[in-house]
Amino acid sequence: MRVETPQAKTLVLDVPDWPGHLPGQHVDVRLTAEDGYQSERSYSIASAPGTADLELTVERIDDGEVSPWLTEEAQPGDQFELRGPVGGYFVWDATLEGPVLLVAGGSGLVPLMAILRHHENTGSSADLRLLLSARALEDVLYRSELERFRDVVHLTLTREQPPPEWNGWSRRIDADMLRDVGPGADQHPHVYVCGPTPFVEEAARLLVELGHLPAAVHTERFGPSGG
Amino acid sequence: MSIHTDGNAIAGVLEEIFGVEVTATMRVCQSCGQEHAIGAHRLYRGAGLVLRCPNCGDIAAAVATKQDEYRVKLFGTWSEELV
Repeated sequence: MRVETPQAKTLVLDVPDWPGHLPGQHVDVRLTAEDGYQSERSYSIASAPGTADLELTVERIDDGEVSPWLTEEAQPGDQFELRGPVGGYFVWDATLEGPVLLVAGGSGLVPLMAILRHHENTGSSADLRLLLSARALEDVLYRSELERFRDVVHLTLTREQPPPEWNGWSRRIDADMLRDVGPGADQHPHVYVCGPTPFVEEAARLLVELGHLPAAVHTERFGPSGG
Repeated sequence: MSIHTDGNAIAGVLEEIFGVEVTATMRVCQSCGQEHAIGAHRLYRGAGLVLRCPNCGDIAAAVATKQDEYRVKLFGTWSEELV
């Protein structure tokens, strides 16, 4: 288990007979209480395909039913039920041709990190760029790993100035920012947007306004009903 | 603003029902005629699960759990490619 931010931890799971996954997919975690009460939530897979362990990064939702247990109570050696991998819409395949634009809001970075890692592991030559919006630097997941990717990662913080080495922004995402990050709609990138529902809807709206085809803009929303 | 996520969040449930992955399945809305992937549809959780068209909001699917079975109602045209 790794601490990523004050709110989020990465769980490293040893899953017997794991069939493998595609970057962007998630798993459903089901917890069963002693009285038989069950609760199920989906969590995006953070690790790239083909790596030994399955990694989930879970953000604690204070009044959630599953995330407080996963982030605060679960201990190494504990077992729980998983269903997956699931999902076929919000996935990127390294054999896909064309550039890739990833747009993440907060912990929406998790499935996009699997894409970024897979892109690196497969030595893909696809032009890939990531725009990450977070409240503050301390909320940024995988911070030290992202520093390695600084030439393709663009950072905007909504509540503070990014450190000078990031050369980022301090505002919410807007059309100018998306235009600066590129690739432009004329290059037909595969676009993946993941984050809280209002963030995703705003980003998708801006992207379509900039000329991206709605079908090329893949979206995944995290909602307050999660946790 | 109403609280919703999207079809990706119930990929597991849908796969249990249909036996195949359907979030990449395209659906043409019976109401506005637009075509969107199931994963892009809005999901509302209440007593059951309701999927709605991301363009016009009309209903795409309703899923309820009754004891050990799912009750499913589908709307619009769902296109599943044969492999």
